[in-house]
Amino acid sequence: MEDEKFDVIIVGAGPAGSACAYILAREGKSVLMIERGDTAGSKNVTGGRLYTYALELVESNLYKEAILERAVVREQIMMLSDKTGLTIDYFAGTNMEERMPQSYTILRAPFDEWFAGKAEEQGAMIAAGILVDELIEKDGKIVGVKAGGDEMYADLVIAADGVNSSMARQAGLKKEWNGHEVGIGVKEVIELDPETIQQRFNIGPDEGVARAILGGTDSVMGGGCLYTNKDTISLGVVLSPASLAAQKRSIADIYQDFKMHPAIYPLIKDGTTVEYSAHLVPENGWNSVPKKLYRDGFLMVGDAAGFVINTGTMIRGIDLAIVSGVAAARAVLKAAAPADVGQLYMKELNELQLISTMQLFAGWPQITGLPRMSSVYPDLANEMIGSLFYVDGKLPKRMDKSMLQILRKHVGIGQVLADAWKGFKAL
Amino acid sequence: MDIVACYKWVLDEQDIKIVPGSLLLDTSRAKGKISDYDKNVIEEAVLQAEKDDTVTVTALTFGNAKAKQSLKDALSRGPVKGYWVNDAAADIADGFVTANVLTAALKKIGAYDLILFGEGSSDAYGQQVGPRVAALLGIPVVTFVTKLEISEGKVMAARKIGDCTEDVTVNLPAVITLLPEVCKPRIPGLKQVLGASKKPVQEFKLADLDLVAENTLPKNKIKSIQGYAMDRKNEIYTDGTVDEKVNTLIASLTKEGLL
Repeated sequence: MEDEKFDVIIVGAGPAGSACAYILAREGKSVLMIERGDTAGSKNVTGGRLYTYALELVESNLYKEAILERAVVREQIMMLSDKTGLTIDYFAGTNMEERMPQSYTILRAPFDEWFAGKAEEQGAMIAAGILVDELIEKDGKIVGVKAGGDEMYADLVIAADGVNSSMARQAGLKKEWNGHEVGIGVKEVIELDPETIQQRFNIGPDEGVARAILGGTDSVMGGGCLYTNKDTISLGVVLSPASLAAQKRSIADIYQDFKMHPAIYPLIKDGTTVEYSAHLVPENGWNSVPKKLYRDGFLMVGDAAGFVINTGTMIRGIDLAIVSGVAAARAVLKAAAPADVGQLYMKELNELQLISTMQLFAGWPQITGLPRMSSVYPDLANEMIGSLFYVDGKLPKRMDKSMLQILRKHVGIGQVLADAWKGFKAL
Repeated sequence: MDIVACYKWVLDEQDIKIVPGSLLLDTSRAKGKISDYDKNVIEEAVLQAEKDDTVTVTALTFGNAKAKQSLKDALSRGPVKGYWVNDAAADIADGFVTANVLTAALKKIGAYDLILFGEGSSDAYGQQVGPRVAALLGIPVVTFVTKLEISEGKVMAARKIGDCTEDVTVNLPAVITLLPEVCKPRIPGLKQVLGASKKPVQEFKLADLDLVAENTLPKNKIKSIQGYAMDRKNEIYTDGTVDEKVNTLIASLTKEGLL
């Protein structure tokens, strides 16, 4: 049947899929977006932040309609030792109008639903509650998808099906994840009234905090993050599976202790847990992006392609997903023949500076992956700063000597130099 | 033969929260869905059509503007056409109003041999609308039905009453209210979902229907809805040995008539 062929089928209605569907539908292409959840966003457990420049690429001022939580005005890095916490708080200013690009905290369930709805308004067809089982291949070319007993054909199939992309594996472009390439994330959304959130984090009504947290994970490699939403706080940890397996405690127990840490608990006290979830998070940056992101009739975007950057102070995934969706859409629109789309996609990714940005941060997983990052250095930082404020009436030690002494207590000078060298090389 | 499957658009109870203290319901984040039991109603109608080419199934609902979303879901389950009485009056409608509105809509639609309802909706479960519609149309109604077979202008229906089954034969046109065990609703496939957006939907406003004003005013007005909270006994048995504590517990439970 004629009407059963589309220009493009997109598998997955996350930010990458919706960005791509939005542009293609707006430009008159017939687009079908298939989503496994009952609604877009229902399978997603990310609390996070959206850098608005990405939505600007889709459509100017679109972000003003988006379901956003709070504008991030405080960027924070927190280091936890056993009982103490050290927070670096950068106040980025409240005059958001003058500061593009800005970022907002978001909750993915409402955001994704809104974004998919926008793509639908542009004319994209959305089929939710449908799991795509497999790709249809003909003469070495991907020509469609199979879902249940139904087959649907298209000139191009775009895999936007997330971190565990079964489409990308079936297309033969991606292997199963290795333990060191992903983190296991546990996230909780904790409800509190907006005034309490504003008081606890020293922010105004529409302002928010994004905080990266090191330490407090019982020496298991990984870290935590915290975002303030309108009337909830997203709190979570992402831990290394290998490091988890090397000890006895479960991730749920470690997270529970993390939550109860004396520097964390007062922030969430009296809150109600409204969501508790777990997810895989791509952690290895550029080095885990497949060598090839397309083949004839097929390409991959967003998490499916591994587009995530984690520098320890900043985690970017949602914006990169949208950028890659935009790149895919532009490639489709520019291609004279379907066979050209793949190469054009790579060209667009380059022009939008996604690949160069990923390459710039390619070495970072080696820094965030340093074993000492999860407890030794946070402990060290806490004790050093703590010593600056310690007064007991006795003669204090000379500061340089006391610092050196604290340093030696936690780590050998050789190790520090080795880590510093590793870090320097990674940059 | 025309089957009209009626369904209600309700709030998803999973999203409704009970506010601690006041016990009021917070529906601000609740999404809508087709009443659970009504999915079985649509499915049963469609199964009948799949058995017999001459059967045509349409779907009918009365809901506010948000109920528009329900039509794609309903039509992806198989009916060939959707009818939607779109009016905010649905928000406060009771069984009386809903039955009047649906009856007026059915008269407008004209084509009905068999009208199917769920025994009750998954929110209020009033069990009113089906029987009332039958009375208003002056046609028979069979309730608590777990099985039905249509042949030669008649429906053979099995009713579940307590531990017994009653087999009933009724002439069409008729109203039948179904229990959920009548069938299991399908999960619509890709083509069914895509096909649904191409199917026709006819929208009525209350003004389009032949209704006198008093029949659109609810007889039952809800004053308040509160969550139900059970007081706990909060008894802890601390005295005595383990055996004695267990015995005291069992004695208490027996006294409460729970054992």
